[in-house]
Amino acid sequence: MWKATLKGLLAHKLRLALTAVAIVLGVMFVSGTFVLTDTLHSTFTTLFNGIYQHVDFEVRGKAAFSGPAGSAVRSPIDQSIAQAVRKIPGVADAVGTVTGYAQLVATNGKAVTTSGAPTIGLSFNPVSQMSSLHIKSGSPPTSPNDVVIDAGTATKYHFHVGHKVHVLLLGPPRTFTLTGIVTFGTANNLAGATIAAFDLPTAQTLFDRVGRYDAIDILAKPGVNTAQLQRAIARVLPPKVEVVTGQTVANEATNSINQALGFFSTALLVFAFISLFVGGFTIFNTFSIIVGQRTRELALLRVLGASRRQVFRSVLAEATIVGLVASVVGLGLGVLAAVGLRALLSALGISLPSGSLVFELRTVIVALLVGVGVTVVSAISPARRAVRIPPVAALSEHDVVATESSRRRIIVGSAIAVLGVIALALGLTKPAIALVGVGAVAIFIGIGMLAPLVARPMASVIGLPLAGLLGIPGKLGRENSMRSPRRTAQTAAALLVGLALVSTISVFGASVSRSATGSIDQAISASYIITAAGGGGQGQFSASTAGAAARVPGVTAISTVYTGEFKFRKDLSQLTAVSPNRLAQTIILRMQNGSGAPALTAGRLLVDTTTATSDHLVVGSTVPAKFALTGNTHMQVGGIFKPNSLLGSFLVSDKYFLSHFDNPLPVAVLVRSAAGATAAGKAALNAGLRAYPNLKIQTQAEFKASQQKMVNQLLGLVYVLLALAVLIALIGIVNTLMLSVFERTHEIGLLRAVGMRRRQVRAMIRSEAVILSVFGAIIGVVVGTGLGIAFAASLKQQGITDIVVPFSSLIVFLVIAALLGLAAASWPARRAAKLDVLAAIASQ
Amino acid sequence: MTVTDHVPPAAAADPGPAARAVDLVKTYGKGATVVRALDGVTAQFDRASFTAIMGPSGSGKSTFVHCMAGLDVPTSGQVFVGQEAIDQLNDAGLTKLRRDRLGFVFQSFNLVPTLTAAENIALPADLAGHKIDPAWFDFLVDQLGIRDRLTHRPTELSGGQQQRVACARALIGRPDLIFADEPTGNLDSKSSGELMAFLRRSVNEFGQSIVMVTHDPRGAAYADRVIFLADGKIVGGLTSPTADSILEQMKQLGN
Ligand SMILES: Nc1ncnc2c1ncn2[C@@H]1O[C@H](COP(=O)(O)OP(=O)(O)OP(=O)(O)O)[C@@H](O)[C@H]1O
Ligand SMILES: [Mg+2]
Repeated sequence: MWKATLKGLLAHKLRLALTAVAIVLGVMFVSGTFVLTDTLHSTFTTLFNGIYQHVDFEVRGKAAFSGPAGSAVRSPIDQSIAQAVRKIPGVADAVGTVTGYAQLVATNGKAVTTSGAPTIGLSFNPVSQMSSLHIKSGSPPTSPNDVVIDAGTATKYHFHVGHKVHVLLLGPPRTFTLTGIVTFGTANNLAGATIAAFDLPTAQTLFDRVGRYDAIDILAKPGVNTAQLQRAIARVLPPKVEVVTGQTVANEATNSINQALGFFSTALLVFAFISLFVGGFTIFNTFSIIVGQRTRELALLRVLGASRRQVFRSVLAEATIVGLVASVVGLGLGVLAAVGLRALLSALGISLPSGSLVFELRTVIVALLVGVGVTVVSAISPARRAVRIPPVAALSEHDVVATESSRRRIIVGSAIAVLGVIALALGLTKPAIALVGVGAVAIFIGIGMLAPLVARPMASVIGLPLAGLLGIPGKLGRENSMRSPRRTAQTAAALLVGLALVSTISVFGASVSRSATGSIDQAISASYIITAAGGGGQGQFSASTAGAAARVPGVTAISTVYTGEFKFRKDLSQLTAVSPNRLAQTIILRMQNGSGAPALTAGRLLVDTTTATSDHLVVGSTVPAKFALTGNTHMQVGGIFKPNSLLGSFLVSDKYFLSHFDNPLPVAVLVRSAAGATAAGKAALNAGLRAYPNLKIQTQAEFKASQQKMVNQLLGLVYVLLALAVLIALIGIVNTLMLSVFERTHEIGLLRAVGMRRRQVRAMIRSEAVILSVFGAIIGVVVGTGLGIAFAASLKQQGITDIVVPFSSLIVFLVIAALLGLAAASWPARRAAKLDVLAAIASQ
Repeated sequence: MTVTDHVPPAAAADPGPAARAVDLVKTYGKGATVVRALDGVTAQFDRASFTAIMGPSGSGKSTFVHCMAGLDVPTSGQVFVGQEAIDQLNDAGLTKLRRDRLGFVFQSFNLVPTLTAAENIALPADLAGHKIDPAWFDFLVDQLGIRDRLTHRPTELSGGQQQRVACARALIGRPDLIFADEPTGNLDSKSSGELMAFLRRSVNEFGQSIVMVTHDPRGAAYADRVIFLADGKIVGGLTSPTADSILEQMKQLGN
């Protein structure tokens, strides 16, 4: 039996190779993700361990609580602590460090921006042993006018030692002399972040840390008992200040990078699994067809004494071998993909410290398990069908097919789909992402089982215009697609899933975009919105901007918007702050209860109606809250406002905010101009803020457009990742059409013999492909629209208030699907047209 | 090597008939369209004997053979292979029966297209996980004249060669009984004659039992006995037939 299996495999190399492509791509995605993130992980671990290698201890403020992504929020400490520490026997040296915002301005006058990474300002530690920065050329900063920058930025923006460099800071921008170029550990920069370092007193001034440090790095004398020394240091520290080892700091730094990497790899893995899922559909389809075509052969084996189990195993063995070969190939390509991605990242300016590729055993195991698993699981149902083939099928002149009652199919399919909907609904309301995933998978499987029911009528309708347009070839193509509704539905299933996901994202994205921007004119009354360019809209900018903007002629009101994390009751939440002065001129606040500006001025908290309802808050309620800097406090609700798309759920005055946060950077400055939004007004603002080239000054309409553009860019990225799934689905269609052509060799030969031209043969195959694709696409778009609406609706609390179905995009998807179907048909069509008529008719 | 080495052991051990059918009925379809393909057939096939089954197209010959071989389930009646009532067997039992105790030769599509001739011959043994007897294999291959075709695939063989490969496969396991359904249906008279002569010899020399469906009176003349079927019933029989006596009988039945 093994021999028969192996020979069967070798005899159908092409069709199995096509089947395997789906798995190869999926496994490549999985293993590439693992290799890339493992490599980055090890690179950063090495980097941080290297940097903190000689820092024995660090003294720092205790973390009040962890912010998002595990980043701890700490308060600065008094600089006198350094002197106390230095006196401890066993301490060789103790140097204070501060960090803050420092953004460079390129020689062309534009601000240096990153793709999301921070623009870091640092104090330069002169004790080179302890410093994370190493002078590559030039000399360290020693005077208040000196700056050193990272080698990555210096190379990219052509900065050379001796140049004057303009730097944007918390306060007004300043010009420095570039005295040196540094590396961060061994790397040219830190994962795309830009670095500007100053001497310690300068940095303290620039970052508003006069008399204070963010941390103190300590070097121990050689041979000192570190545990004892740590205890000795701890003894001289005031409360709320702690001492940790350098290794701890290195681990924390590595961990926070790893958390970000983890998010990145999870996102990639989700798409990898989507590809594999779609691949599973194509494998299921191919094996179903292979079993169908080999009915006689399998039946003959049964006549000659093959047991059911042997037949079952032979089909699964075939799947295992295909899955194994595909997984190994995918694994190899995954490593190449990781190399390529790393190159791409550094091309994007995210320079990474060099490190060799990390190829963990886990990558191999997961890749093989997943690749072989998906293939084998997808082949189970076809294998069971093979088992049901009765031995007589080998002998009868008519085709005996193992039939499965369509009633059972309907019941099972519906049950799976309904369970899927329930899981999805539960998952969305909980919310539990895994449950959402399981629900979506079940829905797709259920729909895949039910699709054959509508395949015949739908194919007939979709094929009608083709039959009219192309005559006989179109008609035959339509007949072929109607001939086996089950095959048609199975072939289209993969594309169905692909398009469903694309449509889901499209509906969801359109809803997000509309909700975020649709009501901007309902949310703010300011003429201009000032934000920072770059950094994915999250860019930082100087707090001195507001003052500069206020001095521009014609400006009547200014509001600086801050956001920050705080604990509301027990939950980490986002607090927004605005200036209550002349509030109505910058922000539209519709109060349901209580007062707006007066309550803010009085230091009260405003909450939106949704939060008020869910948290049972009324005007006058007092709620416990906690700030990283100031600790526990109570906040009093002074008013309840109707949801505002820009303000979030919790609103306080800027004054209140600044008393609980240490020199935060604004996220936006709202400007009201007497003349409204005019070209002249904007030019005046631009002129007044010329010193801050990192700013984006936009009217409401411009702001809205740029927000939409951002959402669309993100959607674009998701579409690109989903394109792989669609590609896999198309390979499935190519595969099925090839099998159909092969199966109908005799029939096509006959058609050619009675006078069908090659061109007509091609038209026939293409018609069938278009019908298949459009059929899958229609169901996919409908299902996807439903899923998209469900996702969007479930996030109403999170601010997705408008649900938008972008009909024009959905129609474009259908057209694209039809064109892709046409493309998928070209190879099989050519192959069919090339058939040798005589050989085709002679073949059995 | 002498031919007597290859007497099937079962023939000596078990004196009863190789197989028998008792009142077999097989109907297809329901209601108005019901077809009685077999309508109460009782027959017995002795060991080391060669039986031919004849009858017009649609008379139920194939159906009879399928039911006898456990490939199809009769509507009523019983089939015994040796002492064993096969209606008692489940699918696994039937599979084992076919694999270990029966041999088959069909009119066409006898061979697995992806396997070579040699691999096809060894297939039932492979399925069972048995080793084939190499001396017996060599003997059959030489007798059937297919030694130089062993590494070829079915598509590279002529119709006659394919049937000889199928014969070798049927005989390799020394089954209790071989069923052949029109094994020469696609062959010219010369190839048919050679194949029939070989089947005859396998009965005489190795005590093989064979049941063969055929439309060809000259082929049926190689048998020890002929059974005539019409409309699912046994309507006649001949022992030690000749081509002429068969034609005579067929004429009478036609009237
Ligand atoms: N699967 C089936 N479904 C319905 N009717 C069948 C089936 N198989 C056979 N029959 C019918 O049973 C009757 C006997 O068929 P069978 O194949 O046994 O005839 P046969 O004697 O072998 O004919 P031939 O000489 O043409 O091979 C025929 O009327 C045939 O139509
Ligand atoms: Mg027949």
